[in-house]
Amino acid sequence: MISRPRRPNQATRWVVSAVAAAFLALLTFWSARGIGFSFLELFGNLGKMSRLISESFPPAWNFWPRLIGPFIETVQIAVIGTLIGSLFALPLAILAARTVSPSKPVFWFHRNLMSVLRTMPDLFWAMLFASAVGFGPFAGSLALIVFTVAIVSKLTAESIESIDMNLTEAVKASGGNWFEMVRFSALPQFLPQYVSYVLYAFELNIRASTVLGLVGAGGIGMVLNTQRTTFQYDRVTMIVLFVFAMVLLIEQLSAAARRRLV
Amino acid sequence: MTSIAIPRRRKVPVTLWLGLALLGILAWATAGLDIDGGRLAGLPKTLARLAGLFFPPDVEYGQQAVIPAILESIQIAWFGTLVGAVLSLPLGLMAAGNLFPRIARLIKPVLAMIRAVPEILLAIYFVPVVGLGAFAGTLAIGLHSIGTLGKLTADVVESMDARPVEAISASGGGALAVLRFAVLPQVLPEIVALWLFRFEINLRASAVLGVVGAGGIGGVLLNTLRYREFAKAGAVVVVTVVVVLVVDAISGTIRERLVRE
Repeated sequence: MISRPRRPNQATRWVVSAVAAAFLALLTFWSARGIGFSFLELFGNLGKMSRLISESFPPAWNFWPRLIGPFIETVQIAVIGTLIGSLFALPLAILAARTVSPSKPVFWFHRNLMSVLRTMPDLFWAMLFASAVGFGPFAGSLALIVFTVAIVSKLTAESIESIDMNLTEAVKASGGNWFEMVRFSALPQFLPQYVSYVLYAFELNIRASTVLGLVGAGGIGMVLNTQRTTFQYDRVTMIVLFVFAMVLLIEQLSAAARRRLV
Repeated sequence: MTSIAIPRRRKVPVTLWLGLALLGILAWATAGLDIDGGRLAGLPKTLARLAGLFFPPDVEYGQQAVIPAILESIQIAWFGTLVGAVLSLPLGLMAAGNLFPRIARLIKPVLAMIRAVPEILLAIYFVPVVGLGAFAGTLAIGLHSIGTLGKLTADVVESMDARPVEAISASGGGALAVLRFAVLPQVLPEIVALWLFRFEINLRASAVLGVVGAGGIGGVLLNTLRYREFAKAGAVVVVTVVVVLVVDAISGTIRERLVRE
């Protein structure tokens, strides 16, 4: 009987798997304890849940006219964040793309800048800007500008790294400098993708801008926060449904635009 | 001397119109903000002054209050992702049009609706039910993750190689055998990579949930800024940036290995 040769590293593979599994189990156990997970709490609160549901439904339908103004402000915040943020994102992406960036140090600096920008959630930026410039939509716009720079530059840099480098070689070979290389070879190749990322960022920004008001950074979230803290959940539900419908509508429009583009 | 007429490019007017339209939209949007030239001009100075107040960060406060809070955010993100992953796997498989054409048409819109509600809005509803704290945040993260992970799982399954499925079916395998021997071996590494990626996103999401009282570091930042204790807020910012960078790096390395193998 011929025995099949065992793969030599199988034993180590088992050990690695066992250690990884133990680590994940411990992480899960630690998390469950930390958050106070209990089925008792989940299902023992059915009474509170039914009370919340009866307070939340039916929604306060007559509240919606007061939401139009704040929602327009929300859209305005998202528009500013998207347009101005995308403008800053373009040079950052070019400098942070390994293949196109003019030099190694420039690449590393901008790549790391991009990573640090991406670590902070949108509402953190909103809180920081609100304490810098005061409550209101101006703080929200600044927060979304930074948020957009972080997302669009990252996605665009990845697209730039996957463009056809033969064309950039051609521009260089015919005596073009770095700017001409970017302008006539790189830019035309990644521009459609960049525009589609801008639209994608707009969709994200519309969602984000609806909750900025929870920390005082303007838009419909400000109304939401007032109703939430005074426990008027029928109005909260009205706001959530309104936001839900508007976000879906805007996303459909943006998705249609993206499909035509790409 | 004769000159050769070069055909004019007709693209220029289109770009011009597009630019004007964008400028118009921008003007409309900025009109809604309460900004004037002075406020805009003073912005760099204001930000520089605030950044100066953040440093040096309050190290003692960082150790006592910020580290426990970010650990809680990690716990919320991890357990929430796990809940979302476990529940989204069967839903995602059922939402795959190539496996279950009929059921998929029912499940897909449900996932889309779950996805459309941001975590923080879900948390607003969970807080009154299970009380202030991390548990409410975990439920919000978990529920939202079902929507996002379910959709992505379905996408992965729909783009897999159909031939192993046919092979198992042709040799007499039932639905369970197809799932076990043709579908899961193909899609599982990619799906686990998606879970890890979602964990990275959820860490950022759970970091802000404290704003509505659902646990984690967001509440700490909100309070330090409310009382204008900027050195403490600086500690929150530094700890958040470092922890998220480290978690991203670890998770990213594992993801790369998973997808490559």
